[in-house]
Amino acid sequence: MASLAKTLMIHLRDVQKSYTRGDQTVLACAVDRLDIEPGEQVALIGRSGSGKTTVLHILAGILRPDRGEIEVAGARLDKMGEAARDNHRGRNIGMVYQTFNLLQPFTALENVLMGALFGRGAGGDAKERAMALLDKVGLGDRMHHRPGELSVGQVQRVAICRALINDPMLILMDEPLGNQDKATGGQVLDMMLQVASDDNKTVVMVTHDPESAKRMQRTVDLETLRGDLNVDVSADQKVEASR
Amino acid sequence: MKLISISLRNLRIRLVATVLTMMSIIVATALYAAILVMAEQTEARYEGSIGGFQAIAGPNGTSELELVLNTIFNVGEASGRIPLEVCEQLRSSRGSRFKRSQVRYAIPQARGDSISRFNFPVVATIDEMFSKFEWRREPLKFAEGAPFEYSWDDLIALANGLAAHENGKRAELEVIPERPLLQKKWKQAVVGSRVARSLNLKLGDVVTPVHGKLGEFDAHEHPEAACAIVGILEPTNSPIDSTIYLPLGIHLLIDGHAGGVFIQKLVKGKSPVQLEGMPVDPMRIALTAVIADPLDHMGSQILRTQFGSHEEAQVAWPQDVVPKFLRQIGNAADALAVIAWLVLLVAAVSITVAIYNTMNERRREIAIMRSLGARRLQILTIITGEATLLSFFGAVLGLVTCHAAEYFMRGTVEDMTGVYLDWTIFKMWELYLVLGVSGIGAIAGLAPAVKGSMTQVADNLTQNY
Repeated sequence: MASLAKTLMIHLRDVQKSYTRGDQTVLACAVDRLDIEPGEQVALIGRSGSGKTTVLHILAGILRPDRGEIEVAGARLDKMGEAARDNHRGRNIGMVYQTFNLLQPFTALENVLMGALFGRGAGGDAKERAMALLDKVGLGDRMHHRPGELSVGQVQRVAICRALINDPMLILMDEPLGNQDKATGGQVLDMMLQVASDDNKTVVMVTHDPESAKRMQRTVDLETLRGDLNVDVSADQKVEASR
Repeated sequence: MKLISISLRNLRIRLVATVLTMMSIIVATALYAAILVMAEQTEARYEGSIGGFQAIAGPNGTSELELVLNTIFNVGEASGRIPLEVCEQLRSSRGSRFKRSQVRYAIPQARGDSISRFNFPVVATIDEMFSKFEWRREPLKFAEGAPFEYSWDDLIALANGLAAHENGKRAELEVIPERPLLQKKWKQAVVGSRVARSLNLKLGDVVTPVHGKLGEFDAHEHPEAACAIVGILEPTNSPIDSTIYLPLGIHLLIDGHAGGVFIQKLVKGKSPVQLEGMPVDPMRIALTAVIADPLDHMGSQILRTQFGSHEEAQVAWPQDVVPKFLRQIGNAADALAVIAWLVLLVAAVSITVAIYNTMNERRREIAIMRSLGARRLQILTIITGEATLLSFFGAVLGLVTCHAAEYFMRGTVEDMTGVYLDWTIFKMWELYLVLGVSGIGAIAGLAPAVKGSMTQVADNLTQNY
């Protein structure tokens, strides 16, 4: 598959996604242009309903836009079938959600291993890698606990480990600190960004929180992406503007 | 971590639903296996038990099946009697146009008594049962002890003595010959292996026959016929194991049997009352059956011809009768098997419903797995795997239940049907049954699996439940 932009991690052009509810069609998101370099840490902001999560799902290959070109980590997602997109997501993208989305019946270690199972495979040294990751985030003694037995901060760290288990090129985070106090959330985000920075991973984070957005290298207001704009804004300005 | 471990965990977290659904699989599999086991072991038992019983002479007016079931398998009551002369005809060549006997042996039997609450049947016979009778081409082997001593000649002598006494009474002689006495040396018994095992009997122990069956109306013990055990047979895995053999002399002389010792031959123009006053023939001593083994194929044909028109007796051929009987059992087993399959089908539907109903609450869980990169096929595999594992464990437990039931009910089943259930035997079809039930379970899981695999990822990831 021909690469549109060999040097870019994310390359979106003229992307649009709508939903049909009854006889109404609702435009969920529209992005004329968005380019993100490898290793960049980008906050994606915008008011509620602006389509931030939809864009994130399109970048992950969970949703297929109605139109437009999408290239993520060297793959043309708009031209790929669902199974190929699933495979691409599992191998190249790590995801962290606001609600953490850990599977309650499984232990912390199993949740992390599940990321490997559906990504690059849970064989080989996957278990050792998962244990090392959990150890690294301070959960070495909690890896056999279920999510219900962990604090919110610990659950978040498990979710981060799961996102990192396949050593992805791209990490997508959807309001990852939304359920935490600022101090804990800040620590976790710093840890995540440090890991990403060390390994030159690209991070795209959807957030409402200006403090979180400030920690990123670049902030992109989703509303500015409609039209010809693809403008870097300071976190302070755009978060204020988006409210 | 593997997909199967996710399936297993999903079954475990819905333990109550899993157990309840599995119960229906267990019941269906156990039912089906029990039907097959019963049919198979009945067939093996019946086919295996006829070795040695080549021909059975019994009274006319009863069915061949009844005769075979009673004589070989101890099922039911003896439905009539034949005179000793039938046995004598077989042993000599009397009554046929051939000069020599057509059988290798002809052993008289009389039954009607039993022993213990298990109602082990008592068969009165002669010592040829242990010297000439061949069980699968070998004489019966003794685990302990030896046969009792009661020969054909002893029987003939006793018959003559009884007839002389009876004829003296009927002729109202001044000096009536004494009725032969029950001799102490006859009070000997040989018991089958299961009798010895069940009643914990050993050599020298005494068994007391009960007329009829214990618990039945008019059943009573014969203490005068209490016999010491002189021999315990080796197991044959046939009804022989459940039989007690006594000398025919005991049977003929114990209290209450005297009136029925002789069968009066019907004479044209004589009423039954008139017949009762007529002299008796020693060879009219009553038996319930004669076991015979034709010399060869020709001997079989001659016996068929000879007894085809016999006025008092018939010959049944277990090799012919038992397969017909088994075909009838087979038909019944097939009908039951259909019912078992229907139960299994209902169980499969219950799997479909049980898993399908969880799909709504599992949309988020599935969406999370999909977001981690799980393909639809993997989701399909996980859910189908749950149904398959559920069925697999249900089938295995069903077989365990079946074997446990065989273990606990083997005594009762043997008493009721004469079939000894060997619970230790595992057959290849049991593996196929487990695979088949697991396959049915997998198919039953397909509908919910397809529904699960179609879960919309984005919609269900963003919802908070």
